[in-house]
Amino acid sequence: MNALRLIGILAAKDLRIEYRSRHAFLTTLFFALLILIIFNFAFDPGNQSIKDAAPGILWVSLLFPGVIQLNRSFQSEREEGTLYGLILAPIDRGVLFFGKFLANFFLLALVDLFVLGSFFIFYNLTFSTRLGWLFLLMLLVGIVFSSVGTLFAAMVSSVRARDVLLPILLFPILVPVVIAAVNATREVLGTGELEFFWQWLRLLVASDVVFIAGSFLVFDYVVEE
Amino acid sequence: MQQSATKYPELATAAKWLRAAWWLEIPLLLAFLVALWGAFVYAPTERVMGEVQRIFYFHVGSAAVAFFAFFIVFIAGILYLVRRNVVWDQLAATSVEVGVVFTTIVLTTGPIWAKPVWNTWFPWGDPRVMTTLVLWLIYMAYLILRSSLPEGDKKYKFCAVFGIIGFIDVPIVWMSIRWWRTIHPVVITSEGANLEPRMSQALLMAIAACMLSLAVLTLLRGAMRLNQLVVDRMAQDVIDSKRSVA
Amino acid sequence: MSSTQVAPLLSISGLTKRFGVVTALWNVDLSILPGDFVAIFGPNGAGKSTLLQLVAQLSKPSEGSIEFPEAADSGREEVGYVSHMSLLYNDLTGFENLVFFARLYGIEKPVERANELLEKMNLKQARNQFAGSYSSGMKQRLKIARAMLHEPRLLLLDEPYAGLDQHGSRLLTGLLKQLREEQRTVLLITHNLGEGLDLSSRIVIMNRGQVVYRAARDDVDETGFESLYFRTVEG
Repeated sequence: MNALRLIGILAAKDLRIEYRSRHAFLTTLFFALLILIIFNFAFDPGNQSIKDAAPGILWVSLLFPGVIQLNRSFQSEREEGTLYGLILAPIDRGVLFFGKFLANFFLLALVDLFVLGSFFIFYNLTFSTRLGWLFLLMLLVGIVFSSVGTLFAAMVSSVRARDVLLPILLFPILVPVVIAAVNATREVLGTGELEFFWQWLRLLVASDVVFIAGSFLVFDYVVEE
Repeated sequence: MQQSATKYPELATAAKWLRAAWWLEIPLLLAFLVALWGAFVYAPTERVMGEVQRIFYFHVGSAAVAFFAFFIVFIAGILYLVRRNVVWDQLAATSVEVGVVFTTIVLTTGPIWAKPVWNTWFPWGDPRVMTTLVLWLIYMAYLILRSSLPEGDKKYKFCAVFGIIGFIDVPIVWMSIRWWRTIHPVVITSEGANLEPRMSQALLMAIAACMLSLAVLTLLRGAMRLNQLVVDRMAQDVIDSKRSVA
Repeated sequence: MSSTQVAPLLSISGLTKRFGVVTALWNVDLSILPGDFVAIFGPNGAGKSTLLQLVAQLSKPSEGSIEFPEAADSGREEVGYVSHMSLLYNDLTGFENLVFFARLYGIEKPVERANELLEKMNLKQARNQFAGSYSSGMKQRLKIARAMLHEPRLLLLDEPYAGLDQHGSRLLTGLLKQLREEQRTVLLITHNLGEGLDLSSRIVIMNRGQVVYRAARDDVDETGFESLYFRTVEG
């Protein structure tokens, strides 16, 4: 109970700071939009090929802004040394992990919503319950992304090359999640039955469990000095 | 000497590893000769693919060894986090290096075989090839992470953490790629599950030879790393001992 | 140790810290009694900050030990740490910073505690300004307030005078004097020999990772101290 309250306090602090320095978050959203648009130029819009590539484009335009967002979540804690302030406080490291995780997850969900909206317009989708499934996919991927991402962001935050290092560490680990997400998205965007969708969903849920548990268990070693 | 043995316990470990490697060198040589004979003489020529199929034995042998090496990284990582003994970290780092070498062998022998047989350098459809490729990416990332951190406990911890997360990813990678490929039409079927007996015997010889080379490489390189570590520390201790008495 | 002596609040023995192949601290022994105001002098790179980080338990010793004999647990909560870095969120106000950290420390009335410290640190007017917009002097006092939230028994101050103008220094000196009168135990790192001497009850000089001189304040001759310092550090 007390732990939950502390997680809330930590996450609320992050969100308040993000809100006050919102130009950084808005820049991230703009970056996502830019990727979506660039891909439209790279493929021929209106062509069948872009329809086939759409699921991939959607996920690529989430991954790159997501990494930027993650990097920022610990960069600010390092710059002024506030991470030391958090470590010095008598709170459990698990609380620290879930506080950061929650804030990152929430911010990524906002990016998800924004990208989904833009995608909806650019790709001329129609409203249906399938969009709900797509958002569910995004949330499930977001859990893996923000759990492993929080762990790795904490790790690379003290390294000078963190901006390059974080995607290098994160993307190989995310390969299966991306495969699952892209293929499930393909079914959702198609018109047929959701034949394998549930199978992909199961894989994502399994990854969520594995990576939350794994990241939580080793996070202690990453923040201890 | 007695004093340095207790002060630098890694020295004894390194010596042990070197001795073990020394004992394994002759068996390694013999195993490789046998495995080469097995692959090029003993095993029959594959009817459809021809002589080029003979690369299969060391290709698969290397893959098995690479997986095993990454498993060592996982275990050694956990042991480092629990025990904080630098020997486990050095074992993990060495295993990554050797594992990446073997993965690279898999990824280079693959195309040599794939091009004449399937008329493609890189069979993106095969789950094993894909999983190996992802493994290569993960452990290259490990090496990059390692090289960008300053020496010390923090580096060892971070690498252990990444080694653990990387390894628990492997089954998920495998599942996802397999499902992916069963959904899409599989152009390339897996290379005959039912091997001719002499072929599977040759494969076993190759795996044994590769395993032995993993052991020898890991022991030699690991001992080298440990010795380097001790030398660095000795140099520092000399500097320390020259400090004026407080 | 004679029976009349008080048990030390902190005792450090054989402390060595290596960063890779660099030895930052070497075989340091130090014990701090309750009520001590210890000034630590020394050139850059002497290992002063490393010593404080180790005492704050932000890093682990390579060898040796740091003990708080009276503390129930590891002693992390005995310490309030003021670092080079601000340990404050620039995008939160001074008040919000204090309330946030007070909540993390599980302090019962975080808002009251924050207000109380803002008052004590003479920051009441700046209560609702972002910490990022504080002047160096105000920030320094807010840092100290943050470190004192949970009433630690030992306060670690790492160069609090750095970057302060005359006015800021005078305010800080006033504050530190007040802390001394309150019989608080303080470890103060400073390059400012005069202020350090004025405030302290004990003096430690460090050089190249070692303690090279230690004395009670009363045994130190004020006029000769500067030349003593340079002789110790350069000799």
